[in-house]
Amino acid sequence: MKLERLVNIDRRIVYLCIAVGTTLPLLLPIGLPVSSTPPVRSLFEKVESLGPEDVVLLSFDYGPTTAPENTPMAEAILRHCFTRGIKVVVIALFPIGGVTMAGEVLANITPEYPQLQEGVDYAFLGYKDGAQAAMKQMGVAFVNVFPVDNGRRPLGEIPLMQRVVNYDDVDLIVTLSTNVIAEWWANLVNAQFGTPVAVGATAVSAPKYYAFLDSGQMIGLLGGLKGASEYERLVIDRYPHFARLYDRPGVYTAIKGMDAQTVDHAIIMAFILFGNTVHFLIRRRDRRAGLRDA
Amino acid sequence: MFWKLRLPLALTFIVGLVPIVTFFLSTQAPVIGPAVQFARDRVERYMVIIAGFALLLGVVSVVQGSVRKIERRRPGWPFAASLLAGLVVMGAFGILSAMRVGPFQGLLTAPDGGMTPFFWMTRNLFNPLQAAMFSLLAFYIASAAFRAFRVRNVEATILLIAAFIVMAGRTPLGEYAFGWLPGGERWLPAVTDWIMTVPNAAAQRGVIIGAALGAASLSLRVILGIERSYLGTTEK
Amino acid sequence: MSQLIGVWVAAFLTLCIFSFLYRDNPFFRFAESLFAGVSLGYYIGIVAVNTLVPNLINPLFGDFGANAHLLIPLLLGLNLYTRFIPRIAWLARISLAVYIAYYIGINMVQKIQGEIVPQVGSTILHPIGGVMTPVDNLILIVGVLAVLIYFYFSIEHRGAVGAVSRLGVWFLMLGFGAAFGYTVMGRVSLLIGRMNFLFIDLVRITGQAL
Repeated sequence: MKLERLVNIDRRIVYLCIAVGTTLPLLLPIGLPVSSTPPVRSLFEKVESLGPEDVVLLSFDYGPTTAPENTPMAEAILRHCFTRGIKVVVIALFPIGGVTMAGEVLANITPEYPQLQEGVDYAFLGYKDGAQAAMKQMGVAFVNVFPVDNGRRPLGEIPLMQRVVNYDDVDLIVTLSTNVIAEWWANLVNAQFGTPVAVGATAVSAPKYYAFLDSGQMIGLLGGLKGASEYERLVIDRYPHFARLYDRPGVYTAIKGMDAQTVDHAIIMAFILFGNTVHFLIRRRDRRAGLRDA
Repeated sequence: MFWKLRLPLALTFIVGLVPIVTFFLSTQAPVIGPAVQFARDRVERYMVIIAGFALLLGVVSVVQGSVRKIERRRPGWPFAASLLAGLVVMGAFGILSAMRVGPFQGLLTAPDGGMTPFFWMTRNLFNPLQAAMFSLLAFYIASAAFRAFRVRNVEATILLIAAFIVMAGRTPLGEYAFGWLPGGERWLPAVTDWIMTVPNAAAQRGVIIGAALGAASLSLRVILGIERSYLGTTEK
Repeated sequence: MSQLIGVWVAAFLTLCIFSFLYRDNPFFRFAESLFAGVSLGYYIGIVAVNTLVPNLINPLFGDFGANAHLLIPLLLGLNLYTRFIPRIAWLARISLAVYIAYYIGINMVQKIQGEIVPQVGSTILHPIGGVMTPVDNLILIVGVLAVLIYFYFSIEHRGAVGAVSRLGVWFLMLGFGAAFGYTVMGRVSLLIGRMNFLFIDLVRITGQAL
């Protein structure tokens, strides 16, 4: 009977362990190392190969639910692009918070680059409904989908958008995605227009996208917080001045989040092992009791 | 019969063919090229707008349900009132932002550099509520894994081993596990990479191909009018 | 001051949601209903500001002659709402048919041209070569075929087919195990974000304001 009690402990004890395991590493950072994986390096190298003449379309296809995973990716990629002088067109196709996430990230990052001019170095076109129809029509002309930008400026008056007419003028599409929209960028836009697509995906969606990586429909993949931390690490290693930015106390980064992630993984693995060990002991005890009764 | 069934089915057939036909036919083709381009551009631009209207359908349903609940003083009606209050205030801020009335200038930043009321509510109500609701899943997945993740057969064992390797290999745990052996810090991350790029990709690809075949055949059934449940009817 | 009030409202609502971990309570139910209401209100805002005004209302009011064709999506969109008027609810079917048909049509192209063709092609076109080793390529091909056979229910899974199908299950289990590991990672990340807000951001912003 005592063994059964061990696997039937109050669920709130498990909750408490997770809460403590998440909070403590945030308050007392461990500073665990982060190493990179090929799909992340692939996107990083692609951005490295671009320059001031090139254009990246950055689509915010996530909302506040997955912001802890996607926002660090967005910030690191934007910093990387802006540092290299790459022109960035920002859009959002996810209805539940995409456009406000994009606005927040741009408001955080652009002050770090006072030399950048909105409309010249980057453009923020805002959100649009009907994702697939919008994606298709952007292949014809951005202006057909976004007649005005997020600040209601007609696209014709935005210098950057005068030369970025459709996907032909985009060198790389990066989607920061919480759901199926990432797949649409691959199976619709990449498939029909051929523009390279890279994905900053939530961890939940990332495993599926390895099939798209292998088929070349995605040229890079950042999977969850780990992927975000890898990109941050690569950016810091290549551009050391970012280290100061990412080390600022009180600023959330994926690298810092990985401490808590690691501790929580260890706790969950320990619980699974513990549950299985007790389950095994119960079965052995019952088998022996059965033999004795027989 | 014509208005209620035949017309919707005919429209389904015609509009459903637009993205398919325009995919195959070039807009540069002689004679039909301009027509293809016209149909594609018009339909795609219309769909963006209709999708906007469709997204708001849920609002009406929820308002109807909540008002009914409040009128009849059903259990929990004060919560329906708080739902309506949130919807009305946020929605009104949104509509005023669209009309650019007074301080409601757009969704994000006001001309004076401050936050618009819509953005204030987004940042301090919408964002934390969304994020907190979904963060509960971390507790539930831990509890569920502890209670239900049991090694009972070969399949469950494979699943558990893969899960453990990935959980360790995608954090620094994987580097520390065998870090005491020469070169050991790369073992678990390398195995994780292999699992993700080979067996995982194979499994995902099998599922993708199978699901895509199913989805494509369902699409065809809808376009041809065989599948009609989306119209709320099975009439022949 | 507005930021300070805002951050404490956010913290209060976060704690209301977290209180459900202890047990169901009125604070959670209040936050839950507010969550639904605010989310729907958010939809109204973004659809109005980002789609309906720039893509429909402004063109119609700006140059009606050139944009009169936009009355078609306007009428189709408004017609969707007749479903809430029982006597003429059937009218909504017309708009629904147009809306569903387009997305089902584009979905068909996406699935065939954007998924089946490249995924099958990537599996069989380069069995040797590419970025993977020949052994890994072989495992990938066997895995894909085994999973597809597992999902093929038109023949009985016995004998050789049964064995291959079983292999398919093992591949699926490896995939599901990996997906489970990633799902844990994703769920934990969301919590990290909230805890970071409660213990770092809240303290910092309050400290700055006071």
